[in-house]
Amino acid sequence: MKYLIAEDEKELQQSIATYLSHEANVCETASDYHEASEKLELYEYDIVILDINLVTGSGLDLLKKLKKQQKKCGVIIISANSSLDNKLEGLDLGADDYITKPFHLAELNSRIKAVLRRGQFGGDNTINFQEIKLDTMARSAYVNGKAITLTRKEYDLLLFFITNQGRVLSKAIIAEHLWGDDSDLLDNFDFIYVHINNLRKKLTKEGAKYIQTAYGSGYKFIAD
Amino acid sequence: MQNISKRPTEVVINSSQIKNSTPNKTKLLRKASKTFLITSIVIMILSGIVLFIYTKSLLENEIEEELYSNKDRVERLLKNNPDLVGIPPIMMAEKTEISEENVLIDTLIFDPLQDEVELFRQLSGTRNINGQEYKITVRAMVIESEDILSAIVLTFLSIIFLAFIFLFYLNKSRNEKLWQPFFVNLERLKSFSLKSDKPLELNDSDIVEFDELNKQMLALTSKVQADYRNLKQFTEDVSHEMQTPLAIMQAKIETLFDQQNINEKQYEQLSSLQFDIQRLKQLNNRLILLAKIDNNQFTADENISINETLKQSIDNFTEITQTRIALNGKDEITAIMDKALASILFNNLLTNAIKHNFGNQPISVVIEKNHVQVINAGTEGLSNPEYIFDRFYKESKKPDSTGLGLSIVKKICDFYGFLPSYRFHESSKKHIFQIEFDT
Repeated sequence: MKYLIAEDEKELQQSIATYLSHEANVCETASDYHEASEKLELYEYDIVILDINLVTGSGLDLLKKLKKQQKKCGVIIISANSSLDNKLEGLDLGADDYITKPFHLAELNSRIKAVLRRGQFGGDNTINFQEIKLDTMARSAYVNGKAITLTRKEYDLLLFFITNQGRVLSKAIIAEHLWGDDSDLLDNFDFIYVHINNLRKKLTKEGAKYIQTAYGSGYKFIAD
Repeated sequence: MQNISKRPTEVVINSSQIKNSTPNKTKLLRKASKTFLITSIVIMILSGIVLFIYTKSLLENEIEEELYSNKDRVERLLKNNPDLVGIPPIMMAEKTEISEENVLIDTLIFDPLQDEVELFRQLSGTRNINGQEYKITVRAMVIESEDILSAIVLTFLSIIFLAFIFLFYLNKSRNEKLWQPFFVNLERLKSFSLKSDKPLELNDSDIVEFDELNKQMLALTSKVQADYRNLKQFTEDVSHEMQTPLAIMQAKIETLFDQQNINEKQYEQLSSLQFDIQRLKQLNNRLILLAKIDNNQFTADENISINETLKQSIDNFTEITQTRIALNGKDEITAIMDKALASILFNNLLTNAIKHNFGNQPISVVIEKNHVQVINAGTEGLSNPEYIFDRFYKESKKPDSTGLGLSIVKKICDFYGFLPSYRFHESSKKHIFQIEFDT
């Protein structure tokens, strides 16, 4: 996959690029409006990560241009402004998703994967990981072709694990993915244990032992 | 716990929030009328007394002069007619041996004509006329002069009383007119709101002092308004500006997680950092939320069911907490408000109840009549319940609370005119937070 990260904060841009460069992805970066505009003219990307407030112009203008050119790339907007108006404007202009700073990279990654699933492989709603199969339309999970019953949160958790496979996920990251703003409601993430343990039990019962504990209190979904 | 003495009193955004209960205070016009009344009563009493004393002494002098001249007349008559006896009891002459000085006294004498005892002023003295001592007594009725006296004083008092009544009303209406611009502007000031972008508008006055007052008020309010706007803008800007550095920090921690060469201890440190970033982010979000409510950015008001909203909030909580929450909806409440704000309102109340719940007791939510109560167990009442809805006030020493949750509750309630309150039920040891809806 080829990504363009249009973000004027160099540090953030580099962190995103480093993080996403796994899995044989190519990440290119643009630090201002003109650079981003130029790269979008010249090359094709699968996903464009677009900051609204680029130093020399608005990311939204870039988005308009992109849509005019009818390029088939997914666009995810990142913004420091959580206001609903901004979000709606971005989505109206044709962005595929909108994420507010500060965000977790794992969250960004799972949003990218979701956009890719919806776009590029339109029609293919299944995700496979070893013997596990997820049907993202029906929101159901199968191990070795056998359906397993998962709660809504357990399904989301499994999908999040698979899209971020091989990465260390802390409780804070998982909580925010599963509960969004509601994860702020309580200040400890102990409630995560319950859901992860339930999921782990259900998977282990079918012989799929992929949820591993990392560094004591983090989690990692990995095939041995 | 914070230093209580340094806490500012609650910030008043609308002047109308200032309570009108002002004991021991008198209204301006009433005060002016009162002063006028007291002064006029004192003047009336004093001038009445002076008039009384003066007229009385005048009348007494008059009587005495008359008595002396009557005595003279009797003496002159006696010279020609030694056997004169006079007209008893007004004028009398009798022969006597002893000589006496002139004496003036008051005496009571039975007047056969009127068939009653009357008060007379009497002058008596002896006089040698043609070698014979005569005792001459002349009298004048006092009653008559007293009648005149009271007539004069009463007439005077009624005239002055009428004059005062007239002056009182004249003065009152004059004062009302004079202070009119002041009262109009006072009302304007009362309805002035810091939140509105409109400057304070005051009526012009041709009175120099009022004009000066207006100018000072305008200068002051526009300054306060500008400061308030700046402060709000500042909070918002800071919150937004912090998002990017926070995003960088968070991203770096995650890239570190992702590298294989960190150990468990480093992971602990990093995830604790992640947790602190989470707190900053939470603080930011809440400050932005407060600013948004202030800026009237929640305008999607609709008629929502409080019961339904509470049920959804509680359902959400069952996924993230072990604490049991029991909903007891005795009545049905609906309110016209933004759906998102309604969820935030109840989420904050429930979060507060869960965080400060004592032991493993269930939290109960009661919907009754026009209010919702969120009840959690505690050990003792708050030491400063009056500050509980203030920004950044923390009663407990829990380090992980932002101190904004309940002030958001208050802000939302203020925005829609709901009434939040707190009390501690001693016998059952329960904290009770109540929201009264105006339905």
